Amino acid sequence: MNCWQPRVRLTKKNIRKGALDIMFAEWLFFGLAALSVLGAIGLILFRHPMNGAMSFVVTLISLAGLYALLSAKLMFAVQLIVYAGAIMSLIIFIIMFLNIQNSDLPVERGKGIFLVGGAVVIAPIAMFLYKIMRSLPGTRNVMGDNTYFVGNGFGDVKEVGLILFNHWLLPFEIISILLLIALVGAVIMAGKREAGK
Amino acid sequence: MILNYLTLSIILFCLGILGVISRRNVFTVFMSIELMLNAANLAFITFSRLHVSMDGQVLAMMVIAVAAAEASLALAVVILLHKHKGVLDTNIFSLLKG
Repeated sequence: MNCWQPRVRLTKKNIRKGALDIMFAEWLFFGLAALSVLGAIGLILFRHPMNGAMSFVVTLISLAGLYALLSAKLMFAVQLIVYAGAIMSLIIFIIMFLNIQNSDLPVERGKGIFLVGGAVVIAPIAMFLYKIMRSLPGTRNVMGDNTYFVGNGFGDVKEVGLILFNHWLLPFEIISILLLIALVGAVIMAGKREAGK
Repeated sequence: MILNYLTLSIILFCLGILGVISRRNVFTVFMSIELMLNAANLAFITFSRLHVSMDGQVLAMMVIAVAAAEASLALAVVILLHKHKGVLDTNIFSLLKG
C-alpha cells in the first residue's frame, strides 16, 4: 500500500463497483488498442503520406486515451497538445507545403515482399520481447488492489512537476539546450542561402 | 492488466520497424520512427503505473521533447532534399556516402 492509493473501505458494494470499473476500463482499453493498431497499420500501408499522417493522428489520439487509462493525466494532455497537436500539424503542414502529387511518390515495387520478409524477421523478436515482459515481476497482476485508477493526484501537474524539478533537473536543462540547437540547425539548414555559397 | 499495455507497446514498436524497412517514402519512414518513439512512451508510462512512481512519466515527457527536436531537423532535411532533387525517395540519401 502506498500513499497514492485511495483509502477505500472494502465493503461488498465497493468491491462490486471496483469490479465493474475494471471491466469497463478493460473494454475501453481493447477499443483504444484496436484503434491504435489500425492507425499504425494504415500508416505503413497507405501510399500517399497525407493519408498515412491522418491515420497516424488516430494512433496518437488513442494513445492519449490509453495514458488517461493509466492515470497519467498530465501525459494525456501533453500527448494531445504537443504530439497530436503541434508535431503532427508541423508534419502535415510540410506535406501540404511540398504539394506532393501522386507522380512525385517513389515507386515501391517490392513493398509486399519487404513487408512479409520484415514480418518474418520481426516476429521472433516480438515473441522474445513478450517473453521478457511476461517474466517481469508484477506485470501479470490485475492493477493495484481492486482499483484500476490511482487517485490522490498521481500523474497530476503538481506532482509530476515536483519530480521533474527535484530529481530530473539536469536532464531538463540538457533537453532545453537540445531544443535550442535543433532550432538553430533547422533555421540554418532550411533557410535561404546566399548566392554563390 | 499491465501485460496488455506492454503487449500493445511491443506490437506498435514492431509495426514501426516494419514501416521503416518496407517503405521508401521519406515521410512514411519518418512517421514510423515517431511511432516507435510512441511505443516506447507507452511502455514508460505503463511501468510508471506498475511501480506507482512518476519518474516514467517524466522520462516520457523528455522523449516527447526529443521527438519534437527530431521532427524539426528531419523536416528541414526533407525540405532541402525536395528543393535540390525534387524527389521523396529514401534511396536518394545514398548520395551522402563519402
